[in-house]
Amino acid sequence: MASMSALADQLPAGIVACDCLTPFGGADATAAALVANRRALQLTAVLGRDGGDQVPLALLGPMDETLPLRWLPALRGFAAGIPAGTWGTAREPVIVTSSNFGVGSLYAFMRDHDVRHMAHGNPFACVELLRREFGWGEQVHIFSHACVTAHLGLAHAARLLHAGLADRVLVFSFDFVSPFVAGGFHSLKILNGAMPAPYAVRETGSIGLGDGAAYAVLSREAAPFQIAAHAFYNEMFHFTSNQPEGTGFTVCAGLIAPTVRGRRVWVKGHGTGTLEAGRLEAEAFARDFPGAPLTGWKGSLGHTLGSCGLVELAITLAALRGGRIPGTVGGLAPSFTGSVALEPFACAGFDGAILTSNAFGGAHAAMLLTHD
Amino acid sequence: MIERFIHHVKVELPAPEEAVAGGRVRLADKFPRTALRRMTHLGLLIGSALEGVSLGPDDALVYATAFAECRALEDFLASFPSASPLLFQTSIHPGGVQQVQIGRQQPVGRLWPLAGRTRLVEQAWLTALLEPADRVVLAGGEERGTWMIETGMASDKAFAFAAVLTRESVGAAGRIVFNPGSTTDEPCPALDAFASALRERKPLAWQGAGGAWALEWR
Repeated sequence: MASMSALADQLPAGIVACDCLTPFGGADATAAALVANRRALQLTAVLGRDGGDQVPLALLGPMDETLPLRWLPALRGFAAGIPAGTWGTAREPVIVTSSNFGVGSLYAFMRDHDVRHMAHGNPFACVELLRREFGWGEQVHIFSHACVTAHLGLAHAARLLHAGLADRVLVFSFDFVSPFVAGGFHSLKILNGAMPAPYAVRETGSIGLGDGAAYAVLSREAAPFQIAAHAFYNEMFHFTSNQPEGTGFTVCAGLIAPTVRGRRVWVKGHGTGTLEAGRLEAEAFARDFPGAPLTGWKGSLGHTLGSCGLVELAITLAALRGGRIPGTVGGLAPSFTGSVALEPFACAGFDGAILTSNAFGGAHAAMLLTHD
Repeated sequence: MIERFIHHVKVELPAPEEAVAGGRVRLADKFPRTALRRMTHLGLLIGSALEGVSLGPDDALVYATAFAECRALEDFLASFPSASPLLFQTSIHPGGVQQVQIGRQQPVGRLWPLAGRTRLVEQAWLTALLEPADRVVLAGGEERGTWMIETGMASDKAFAFAAVLTRESVGAAGRIVFNPGSTTDEPCPALDAFASALRERKPLAWQGAGGAWALEWR
């Protein structure tokens, strides 16, 4: 068992604004679709116009990268909703979090041999494009830690605010599926022809992938919704599998649990649809949060990768405003634990939620969202 | 003022012609054999820079690279339409430092992988200074690409560095300091310039992110 002496960050940050973009639309539309048990995932050729096996993808349009970039118009429209500010300055920095950035452009270059694709192929070049598009200043931080990245951005924002180095922080996240990443997950055999069924006991695991973007504006000021705490842990056991006894899940759940302090919480898990990680996650959070419903939405939206933490935070806020929390769309009985919520449930009586994500390398992240 | 003291510094600056095969031979005794054959050049260089630095669950690791595993990216792209699962895993940020820690089977509390460029050093320092862990390892570097260099999507040089930062001034070789107050954003040193400053014990100073930055040596 790893040491538990590391502590969770407990630097409350008020959520001034937060929204997401999925194939269902914004956060309110997405939350409503999930409550209605709708799936955005559709079977799609894994390499786009280059064909290949049919796999579950939730896309905002054909995934083949284009010139200009296929996702840029959607991001332009989405970013128009960000509250006005001097974004990209020292007092109002931007933190961009993603795992894909513009990597689809590299695949498009290999396919089309058009060198213009290469202008957006790595994180800093891609973010430089966004910086110019959105008029941000130079203070744009870029984090990339696969599927826990958005959590890092939110936690770093809280640290900047509490150190007195920033007044507001914009955390902006985007991940758009491309043949590069779909082909990669397909090669690992976890993106296959089956729809994901998060936390379900079944023979074969499967995930879906989805397009997603989200933002949050955080401040030190109290707000109706606050991110009260963050916990992280990196197993460093294997690139694509967890320690078999579930140490990483246990440590991360154990770090975030003491921050709850009597609040009644539910858990939005990572829940991609993989079997072993799903079981370990469900068991660990059932132990540390007995009676707390566990839900997950990647069975509908697919895995939005580095953005999932922020996309799912925005959906959580919309669901809380709407009064009903979506159940585990795509989930099936029996589940790994009795805590798995297969149907939507009322948020009345809860005053907090734990939101978790996991990533390659056995990376674990959890945050506590509080509200009155 | 926010400061951290530097207690371990190691910089890897391989011969310009060294590629991953040569790196595996030169650095073979530093890695488990099972891990060595799958490591990228950047992973090898980071691992060598971290030699003697054992990380644990109470530590934090700040990792800075603009281009990351660009050779794995190049090879993964070439593997289509039969995408290589190994190259896919290896190409994912922050694979360089994860290769090292997975090879050692050493968990880390918090890992902060940064992927900017023009202000990458400033942002990595800021991330390290705001980290509450008693011991923060600041590591980073690049590996040299091949065809992606021509389009500016890969590094044209290979290097890696690691520095252990603590709040303990006794025995420190130097310190990183941030004094909030300035509103000017001056050009920030590039990642390779920071590695050179660590190697040669040269000072650095500039303004950015709302303050003045300094790397000082004793």
